[in-house]
Amino acid sequence: MKKLIVIALLIPIAFMLMDCGGKPKAKMNDIPEWYLNPPMAEDAIYEAGDAAKQSMGLAKEAADARARDAVSRTIEVKVSNMLKNFMQESGIGADAEALEFTSSVSKQVSNNVLNGARIVKREMKTEGAMYHAYSLAEYNLNSLIQETVDAAKKQKALYNEAKANLSFDDLEKEIQKLDAVGK
Amino acid sequence: MQTHLLLSTLFLFGAVAFSQTIIPEWFEELPKSPAGTQFAVGYSGKYVDRSLAREAAASLAISNMAKQRETRLVFELEEFADGRFRLMNPSFELSYDETTILNVLDNYTVIDSSITNDGYFVLIAFPKIETRIRFSSNDKEWGERPIWTKKLPASKHYNFGVGIVSNYSSWVRAWKDADEYARFDLGKNSKIEARSIHTTKRDNQYIIESKIIHQSFDEKIANSEIVSRWYDTKNDVYYSLCRQLR
Repeated sequence: MKKLIVIALLIPIAFMLMDCGGKPKAKMNDIPEWYLNPPMAEDAIYEAGDAAKQSMGLAKEAADARARDAVSRTIEVKVSNMLKNFMQESGIGADAEALEFTSSVSKQVSNNVLNGARIVKREMKTEGAMYHAYSLAEYNLNSLIQETVDAAKKQKALYNEAKANLSFDDLEKEIQKLDAVGK
Repeated sequence: MQTHLLLSTLFLFGAVAFSQTIIPEWFEELPKSPAGTQFAVGYSGKYVDRSLAREAAASLAISNMAKQRETRLVFELEEFADGRFRLMNPSFELSYDETTILNVLDNYTVIDSSITNDGYFVLIAFPKIETRIRFSSNDKEWGERPIWTKKLPASKHYNFGVGIVSNYSSWVRAWKDADEYARFDLGKNSKIEARSIHTTKRDNQYIIESKIIHQSFDEKIANSEIVSRWYDTKNDVYYSLCRQLR
């Protein structure tokens, strides 16, 4: 009888210990290739996101949100680099006002509405009791160009008259050379 | 032993009873509607009284048609993560105008209907079609996995969204939710406001990354049709594809 009680107690403890290894890890073969190496394109940004949740719906929403967030942050970097290049070529340099202008425009663009940031690929895998969702977001850069120009024009007031030579026609031309920026 | 057999049989019966195996062709792929009209699908589970099943399916078809015509979608998602815990809170709100549904109620035609082992299905058209369409469709099993369940279709003329749900005891509830999530996905693919703050704290031993993500949209979506559905019978996952003309 005592032996039966001991065995009855040991079995659930054994099950608990088996479950104590932490969350199951994704197998490398299960991870989509496009997640590890997102596609590249001249006129679009691709970013991937993933999430592991017990609910499939929540995993999907989280993965989508993280992929779009990655797009948003990439946009901020791209816009910042675009503007810094333009500033240098215009001879304005890296003074405080120029940096503030760059930062302000970049943040404004990246915090704006993403028009057409689509989730173009999804994969859903199971890992034990969890659903692991992978999402790939695509954002066309054509709309980014116009948003950057619009934001820069709004921020022009940051500059005093000494910097009034800033030509937005020149800025637009630089932004058109999008493929040379941020690489 | 007998108890085990009984329990296994009950479990199997439950799994079969609440899954969906036979469907009309137009439930899987919405047919092309005549110019100036739209099709929508309604469905209901098993009823002892067939007239109640028909009524429930027709009511859902009318509701789906109203949502297709115009619906307001409000979506908000926040995620907080600070290296120790992660919280996520998405919210979905869908509403449509009463006048839209009343318009559909007064002016629709039942094109086809089907009764299967799983329930009652109905296909309606709006506005009313005076000339009766000869519509023949077969009841069938689910086909092979379509490409759109993994890769969003690319088109110059249409926007698309995909809804995915799983682990539902009722297939009726599952399709309702899959259809709505597909509509929300279409909205998010078109336009979404995204803001986030990311910080990284480093010391000699640890790196702690924290973030707050906030995404939202509040838009009216018009002419969004659920054009395809697919059920993964092996994994019990429901997929819906929503399409909108650009």
